[in-house]
Amino acid sequence: MIATIAAHQMLSLRRQRIFLAVLATLMAMTTLAGLIGWSSHQTIVRVYDEAVRMLGAQGKPAPPNPFVLKPTLSLLSNMAIYIPLIGALLALILGHLSLADDESNGVGRLIFSRQVSRRSYFFGKVAAAAVVLAVILLVSFLISSVSLVLVNGAAPTVTDFLRLAVFYVVSWLYLMLFALIGMVTVLLTRRRSLALLAALGVWLVLTFAMPQFTSGLRPTASLNPITDPVSTSQTFFKVTAKARPFSVSEQYKEVSARVLETGASESTSATVLRVVPIVVLLGVLMLMTARLVRRHDYSRSSADE
Amino acid sequence: MNRSRVITIARHEYRAAVRSRVLLALVAILVVVTAASVYIASVDYSSKLADYQAYRAAAQAGGLKQIAPSPLRLLSLLRGAMEYIDIIGAIIGITLGYLSVSRERANRTLALLRSRPVSPGELAAGSALGALAVISTVILATMAVAVVCLGLVGHDWVSSAEIVKLLLAFAASIIYMGVFYCLGAVMTARSKVAANGLMFALGIWLVVVLILPQIGDTLDADNQVPGGLFSALTLNKAQETKIITKFGTYETVRRDIEEASFAKHYERFAFAMTDVQDKYQGLSLSELLWKKHNDIAWMVIYPLVLGFALVRSFRRQPAITQGVNP
Repeated sequence: MIATIAAHQMLSLRRQRIFLAVLATLMAMTTLAGLIGWSSHQTIVRVYDEAVRMLGAQGKPAPPNPFVLKPTLSLLSNMAIYIPLIGALLALILGHLSLADDESNGVGRLIFSRQVSRRSYFFGKVAAAAVVLAVILLVSFLISSVSLVLVNGAAPTVTDFLRLAVFYVVSWLYLMLFALIGMVTVLLTRRRSLALLAALGVWLVLTFAMPQFTSGLRPTASLNPITDPVSTSQTFFKVTAKARPFSVSEQYKEVSARVLETGASESTSATVLRVVPIVVLLGVLMLMTARLVRRHDYSRSSADE
Repeated sequence: MNRSRVITIARHEYRAAVRSRVLLALVAILVVVTAASVYIASVDYSSKLADYQAYRAAAQAGGLKQIAPSPLRLLSLLRGAMEYIDIIGAIIGITLGYLSVSRERANRTLALLRSRPVSPGELAAGSALGALAVISTVILATMAVAVVCLGLVGHDWVSSAEIVKLLLAFAASIIYMGVFYCLGAVMTARSKVAANGLMFALGIWLVVVLILPQIGDTLDADNQVPGGLFSALTLNKAQETKIITKFGTYETVRRDIEEASFAKHYERFAFAMTDVQDKYQGLSLSELLWKKHNDIAWMVIYPLVLGFALVRSFRRQPAITQGVNP
């Protein structure tokens, strides 16, 4: 039964234009990430050459090249921005549509007039979201790999492939959080729009507000993979920094930076520890969704707005 | 266009909007995060201001005739507020537009209104006016909180010259959110299922507010290294400009990507008015406005285009229900 519910859900998602539109945006941006990385990298190298020439003409010594020993995977550093932005919104919509459609078109009532347990329904919906997100990220992984080959002119090493795979596994965990947030908000509210906007509110807080409170990162600074260090010596940050391990978007970016080797290196155990809050929150959201599905009144259709 | 009918619709729009819990929740998020971001910046500013005042007092006591002016820029502390309006303000605008259409559809009052002698233009103008009143209230509340925070935490109050610039930034914020209101209303009116219209509007928001500026920022050579590439290469402004001229096509493409985003025009204007960027230091207001004429032009064109689209969308709404669910 779980497989039937999951298969039905995946079929219905394929028919959703908005889901397909956001999916197409994510795929396009995955392709662009490599191109943008390559283009900006080439420009920096040329700017450096020009700077060396200009300073040399003035008899000044050449500064060190800021891109020396830049790792291969750094070309994909933009993916660590696109996943929490476009990917997370895609996951929110996925989670939202998974349950909201059943509420508004009466499928929920029909399903539970049959011998379908709430448990099977919950696992079917979560399995569908997990499979769809896994397939999307697998395609992203393949596009990223091809980009690396094309841009670097050589196949990535096995270690680089493994690093890229780890990055996409962590991304999958991170996106599952938002799929579940999309589901929870549908189960907690009566109107579709309210559910969608509530989920969006949670996304805004996790993506923009939390990093500012805990690390002083301005909202638009969250959009650039390279951020200037921010002074957090104020008393305010001494208090709020304690909540930094729970700021999942920051932890996700930190893990991505370590895995793609775009940030300062740290021990593997420290990087693994950063994934723990994401896994814990995932567990909490799973339990919450299961509980809400079990208690939800499917005899009541929600408003279509 | 009948003025009293427009005002009646605007009043109705305002009353209905402030009753919406979801809108109030979004406004609360905006006000709280803005206050927090200004508070964080003000605490830092307060200690720097105290340092400057101590230096000034010591210099005066020492009989120094030329005292360096304060390098601190009070309004720049509002950068976080502007960025939150850029991101969350746009969502509030879309939500307002969505609610404006979906509410009337759900209550079946849109068809009723269309069956009365109310033209689509009056309907659009009334709704937009009501929405602008709501947006103005939100912006004023947000900015009042921010300015009071500057005074109480930063220990520095906004001067009269700064108030004019601040008011211009407020006006730009109202226009910015108004454009997203129109987008939300148009997309909802064009969709059979209102929630799908909301999702499409949010998709456009994602591209315009987050993706396009992000691409532009990432392609900016100076943003590739923490602290700035040109600083890392120990180049001064003149040398930077000389090198940049050799990358004309690259810079044009990068700038065009940014130009395509309405959010970027708003951000540039608002940042110029709130002294965020060093390059506008020392310019008079008229010089500043002239420098920003391109962004001002876009902030006129976008509302006109979306306002026209709003009228068209209302014109297309059926005057009587056709036996299907709204």
